[in-house]
Amino acid sequence: MIKLVDIHKSFGKQKVLNGLNLEIEDGKTTVIIGRSGGGKSVLLKHIIGLMRPDSGQVLVDGVDMTKLNDKELNEIRKKFGMLFQEAALFDSMNVGENVAFPLREHAKIKEKEIWEIVADRLRAVGLTGVEEKMPSELSGGMRKRVGLARAIALHPQIVLFDEPTTGLDPIMAEAINQLIIETQQNFNLTCVVISHDIQSIFRIGHKIAMLYEGDIIAYGTSEEIRASDNPVIVQFLAGSIEGPIRIM
Amino acid sequence: MFSISSEAKVGLFVLVGLIVLGYMSFQVGQRGFTFKRGYMVEVEFDNAAGLSHDAAVQIAGVEVGRVEKIRLKNGKALVTLRLPAEVKLEKDVTAAIKTHGILGDKYIEILPGTQGGAYLQAGESISRVERQADVDRLLNQLASIADDVKMVSSSLSKVMGGKTGEDSIGAILENTRLLTKNLNAVVVNNEATLRAMLENTKQLTGNLNRVVVQNDDKINQVIESLRGASSQMEKTFTSLNDITDGIRRGEGTVGQLVKDKGMADRLNKTMASLQEVSDKINKGQGTLGKLVNDDETVNNLNQTLGGINKFVNKSDQFRTFISYRGEYLTEKSDAKSYLDLRIQPRQDYFYLLGLVTDPRGRRTVKDITPEGGTTTQITEWDKSGLLFNAQIGKRYQDFVIRGGVFESTGGAGLDFMSFKDRLKLTFEAFDFAADRNAHLKAGGELRLLKNIYLNAGWDDFINKSNQSPYVGVSLRFEDDDLKYLLTSVPIPTK
Amino acid sequence: MRLLAAIFDSLGKSVLHAVEEMGRIILLFLSVLSWMVRPPWRLRNIFKQMEFVGVRSIFVVVLTGMFTGMVMALQGYHGFRMFSAESMVGSAVALGMTRELGPVLTSLMVTARAGSAMAAELGTMKVTEQIDALYVMAANPVQYLIVPRVIAGVIMVPFLTVISDFVGILGGYFVGVQILNINSGIFIKNITKMVELNDIYNGLIKAACFGLILSLVGCYKGFNTSGGAEGVGRATTEAVVLASITILISDYFLTALMF
Repeated sequence: MIKLVDIHKSFGKQKVLNGLNLEIEDGKTTVIIGRSGGGKSVLLKHIIGLMRPDSGQVLVDGVDMTKLNDKELNEIRKKFGMLFQEAALFDSMNVGENVAFPLREHAKIKEKEIWEIVADRLRAVGLTGVEEKMPSELSGGMRKRVGLARAIALHPQIVLFDEPTTGLDPIMAEAINQLIIETQQNFNLTCVVISHDIQSIFRIGHKIAMLYEGDIIAYGTSEEIRASDNPVIVQFLAGSIEGPIRIM
Repeated sequence: MFSISSEAKVGLFVLVGLIVLGYMSFQVGQRGFTFKRGYMVEVEFDNAAGLSHDAAVQIAGVEVGRVEKIRLKNGKALVTLRLPAEVKLEKDVTAAIKTHGILGDKYIEILPGTQGGAYLQAGESISRVERQADVDRLLNQLASIADDVKMVSSSLSKVMGGKTGEDSIGAILENTRLLTKNLNAVVVNNEATLRAMLENTKQLTGNLNRVVVQNDDKINQVIESLRGASSQMEKTFTSLNDITDGIRRGEGTVGQLVKDKGMADRLNKTMASLQEVSDKINKGQGTLGKLVNDDETVNNLNQTLGGINKFVNKSDQFRTFISYRGEYLTEKSDAKSYLDLRIQPRQDYFYLLGLVTDPRGRRTVKDITPEGGTTTQITEWDKSGLLFNAQIGKRYQDFVIRGGVFESTGGAGLDFMSFKDRLKLTFEAFDFAADRNAHLKAGGELRLLKNIYLNAGWDDFINKSNQSPYVGVSLRFEDDDLKYLLTSVPIPTK
Repeated sequence: MRLLAAIFDSLGKSVLHAVEEMGRIILLFLSVLSWMVRPPWRLRNIFKQMEFVGVRSIFVVVLTGMFTGMVMALQGYHGFRMFSAESMVGSAVALGMTRELGPVLTSLMVTARAGSAMAAELGTMKVTEQIDALYVMAANPVQYLIVPRVIAGVIMVPFLTVISDFVGILGGYFVGVQILNINSGIFIKNITKMVELNDIYNGLIKAACFGLILSLVGCYKGFNTSGGAEGVGRATTEAVVLASITILISDYFLTALMF
């Protein structure tokens, strides 16, 4: 279980997270919504320990990530997988090697088994026979799939998704959403997704959290959020210019 | 598809790099590979200036080893040489520090010893060391100096030769003629003065004589002690005689050495080879021979020495003067004599050391306390006593200030020089005793000829009992004159 | 008055920035050292970087080394001819190459070729979150990315320098002996006489230091890139400039220390 307690984070004078509290349930998909540049990615990076908060606690299965040294952090990170916005595949490696990377790093298994797992994970994301291709030869959607395959290669408990459908056409976006749902069910994952793609939010999210001005202002099931009368949420879901959220 | 892995490429590259590095290292320093091989011998030099670690060791111009280290031992340079095992050195090899070319590095040359002799073992020392005067280099320098001299003389001949030179020489001769004529006139006109001067000189020698007579006793003493010393010497010679007798009879180590036939033979051989060497030199063989027999070398050498002499004279500001001065005290009908050595390290600065005889003698004051009586001071004059001068003088333009010891008492003096130093007016004040007035003396000194001066003045003029006007003559020799005297004495040659 | 204050302000800021940057590079170096001794040792990565830094730089290094040696021979010849010491050209070229020009020019070329590439590659990885991905996959980027590059730099630059020294002397030999008609025996003898083993080895020590500098600075600049493609370009430029300056400055101090 992931629990964020009173997280504060500023960059210079700009306060990004301001006393944020959030609990993420195991085995569910939690979607964090909010405006672009509103601190969603920062929040995600706090969960996985890429950033440390100015104050507050990030508890993963009861362990405070903010108090760990590099070695301990590496240990706890093996529970995580992450799909980056642009997939963040290693340019210098082909697809197979990218997916094999976490296995090579952490799983003490033979080369043959590694390649079996790689093929299995690629099949899980709907790709076959692309091991030899380089990331630059792939389309955006395929890259995200490879990224997902890499994220789940080590069979993690938690997978983080950084705007998985951004920059994809609606069909590919839907395919990715489908993939997220299937993967979550097949591997029984705890998923944390940040997104501002309204359609995807309700498609994949069991729980939805609204991040606004550095804090979670609403947290609930899809239905609860949809039924919310919070003007911020109403405006955000409607995509309206009028409302409390000011456009800068 | 055949492809070379990164590892193979890197490996190949590193291999090539190592081979190139090895090749270059081998080329520039074989010692890197012969490190710690061979054996070491030591040699002691008085001076290892310019010799460095890793300098070459050569035999007959072939490099055989390197200098391992150089360190100081008992004020000498102890040099350790590393030589390969196959190079064997006889025990009587000679080591010398030499130089490559004009600006080259220093290296050690080993001159072979007797063939078939015993070899030096590791850690032993080369006992013979040649102190190398680099004759080639010396000759080079001599030649260049000779060139310089030639240039000077040729430019001189250019000045002298030709019409202008002739004219100027003519003018010089004419001037000289006029000068001698004038001089003659001066002498004729001043005959009387000169006669008086000679008379004074006679008096002066009389005074000198008196000084000697006064000191007769002391001289006798010196002679007596010399006699004693010579009798001691006689005894020493007698015992030396005994020793040599012993040697003649073959007693003691030295005696055996002399009696030993083999030793005598070796000595003979040595003499013979010395003879041979000197013969060779005479015939002009070898560098030294050439040096001795080659007229041009000798000429160059002479010229060089002349140049050095000139250089030394010019650079040497240091001058010394010796002077004798006799002053006739008219009031006492007696003379006072001064013998002074003046050392002048700089033009405006001098030290003066001197002896003075005063007819009154040396004044000493004694405290006499009779038993139970009051103390009385008695002033005594020791007639045989010599007085001393020890003064420091400094010249400021026409004034000279002197200070120090005047006639064995503290004092100071001021001289005024005028007419281009021909006339000196002098005032001295010394002997500031409590019981009498200070000794003041004023006078003048006129240069008559180069080495002869006339003096006149008033000595101790504020003490009635001792005051007296004086006249005198002084003789003064500068060191140049002395040098001239010394060097112009003919040295007997065959 | 306000202008003066502004000038001092910006001066102080830039000095502070430089000091801060130096401190960060030194911290990165320490972190590289500590990660270097920890397993796993990624030999494959090291070899890949060695190939990139070393093997692929051979051509450019040979070219610069060769022409430097040739130019030195040509220039030295005109200088030495005034003293009738043409035979010293060889040793001048050899000493110049082994002590100074070999290490410095080689590392400048490698900086331009590989140092810039390191900054660009790491910069791109940074802005495309590949470095974050490494963190997420519990692979330390310093160990995974920087250690192999630094090792490659420290090892390969000296080897490139050896090659550069050698072809530089060859170039000098070609110009001196073939074109300017210096006696070849004397040319080589003077080289072997004047050049000491220490000249070569000190040059290589320098080269290793320069290799460290160029790889460390390249990685540092890449690792701290921000601002997209433009940031990557800026990081690359800064890496080359900073590394070149640092190499030239440290060359002075290393020379003062060694010779």
